[in-house]
Amino acid sequence: MFCRMSKLAGKNILITGASQGLGREMALRFAREGAAALSLVARHPDKLNVVRDDVLKIAPKIDIVAIEADVSKPRDIERIAATTLARFKGQLDVLVNNASTIGPSPMPFLLDYPVEDFREVLDTNLIGPFLLIKNALPAMIERGGSIINVTSDAGQVGYPGWGAYGISKFGLEGMSQTWASELQETGVRINWVDPGSMNTAMHRAAEPEEDPSEWANPADVTDVFVFLGSDESKGLTGKRFQAQENWKAELNHEERKAKKI
Amino acid sequence: MAFTFVVPPELSAKEPPERRGIRRDQVRLLVIDRAAGRIEHTRFDKVGDYLRAGDLLVFNSSRTLPASLRGCECSASHGPCMEVRLAERLPDGSWLALLLCEQGDPFSCGLRAGMQIEFAEGLAATVLERDANIPRLWKLGFSISGTELVDLIYRLGKPIRYEYISAPWDLDYYQTVYATEPGSAEMPSAGRAFTWKLLLDLKRRGIDIAYIILHAGLSSYMDEEEYFVSRITAQKINRTREGAGRIIAVGTTVVRALESAASENGSVTEAHGYTRLKIDRHHKLRCVEGLLTGLHEPEASHLDLLSAFLPAEQIHVAYREAVARRYLWHEFGDLNLIL
Repeated sequence: MFCRMSKLAGKNILITGASQGLGREMALRFAREGAAALSLVARHPDKLNVVRDDVLKIAPKIDIVAIEADVSKPRDIERIAATTLARFKGQLDVLVNNASTIGPSPMPFLLDYPVEDFREVLDTNLIGPFLLIKNALPAMIERGGSIINVTSDAGQVGYPGWGAYGISKFGLEGMSQTWASELQETGVRINWVDPGSMNTAMHRAAEPEEDPSEWANPADVTDVFVFLGSDESKGLTGKRFQAQENWKAELNHEERKAKKI
Repeated sequence: MAFTFVVPPELSAKEPPERRGIRRDQVRLLVIDRAAGRIEHTRFDKVGDYLRAGDLLVFNSSRTLPASLRGCECSASHGPCMEVRLAERLPDGSWLALLLCEQGDPFSCGLRAGMQIEFAEGLAATVLERDANIPRLWKLGFSISGTELVDLIYRLGKPIRYEYISAPWDLDYYQTVYATEPGSAEMPSAGRAFTWKLLLDLKRRGIDIAYIILHAGLSSYMDEEEYFVSRITAQKINRTREGAGRIIAVGTTVVRALESAASENGSVTEAHGYTRLKIDRHHKLRCVEGLLTGLHEPEASHLDLLSAFLPAEQIHVAYREAVARRYLWHEFGDLNLIL
């Protein structure tokens, strides 16, 4: 292995939806970047344990805990926070709200959307992150920390058929803005990332007639998450990122503009 | 302390303030100014009016466990079932617990060393021995440990509920907004009224905030307790003492931790220890100058602790007023600030 900086050295990180897709790739990447501890959350223990074992192959000394839980259940959120903070001695640096569900597949139009499914999507994609942030915040507020919410372009555009999922992401982006302003004077920052089209099981289920080979591999969109989790992004809060666009150039541009003023 | 007063049953807070139609920070606040010998009555969200820039509020950030588990003796003849109230995790990984029989006399479960207790989801425990200091408590060894045990406690347990509480409120109601590491059998309730908005407002006014951890056990059986004082907290305390600010403990657990960690001259260093410190009128406070606390029952050892801050007669006067003005007692009740 070539010599590299450990961008996440010493960081304690919690990732939801960590058993597959983007969550899994983030876990592996964060381990490579030297994270001190990972708390991985997912509903399926078998797949989650595979990720845990894969992480341990990359970073045998990492402190890792795998928690089987469903973020749509408030009681599970409390357990995720308690178990993670018991393991991390009350110290959390990064929280990634990555878990989400697209709801019924194929995705019905809003007119046809069963209310139970609608609620379930909002419980997982919006209320879950809200409660997890609430529960994790005390462990970050003294030392500072970074919260990263995973969103989607369906959180900015009302695509037909993306009903509850899109609405939940609109909500997540709005909630992220409110958190960012309420937490402005604390050391906790919050940003949200649209990873773009990725070849994941979830996306294939959402758009079964599309060609997934045109979509990015989730392993290739993790740079921005490393950046937001690391001290490189210190002071940066309240921003939306698009992982597959040139977000670095955009940031540099903004920085230069800010300096001129 | 020979201190007699009666708390009428209707003055027990039976539900969280949010379920009585007020916000968590809108409970009442009885302020005792020790120097002036004055008592004032106000609402908790005005607590900032009694604090000054430079003061340091010290909180206990221990998170409340769902410490009540249901288990049954595991034997061929199906032994009795009981409520197991976890009190405290011991250094060797075992737990002190109060075991209450579901049927008949709560203390008739025939507890003995070697007895096996079975819980749901495959969790089991062995009764190890009776506690040497508090005979009502027994030492339990669980079949799993560490993070896995924490996970299972949160799957199976419920918050400990006392007889005056009207309904089985969710665990969430038993947490302070700033709780981090789990470990308390009972909520460190003095800080329950704080909201983040209030905390951030106070910070803006120059009132600083620091945290210790003391995992609160069962208050009726308080003996030895584990506590942690971080380096940041120790620094903040020492800096505050050098300035003109006061160290104000939020809860009796914080008084116990800080007075245990403080040196003769009141300075504090980073500490992790177990304390048996008994604080009463004979104790000369080294570090803590103010206390925010709930209202305590006549027999509670917490009430003894108050007499380290002010003479029994002054407490007595304040408590008589609290009863007359219908203040509410216990974890969901009103608060008392002593400065």
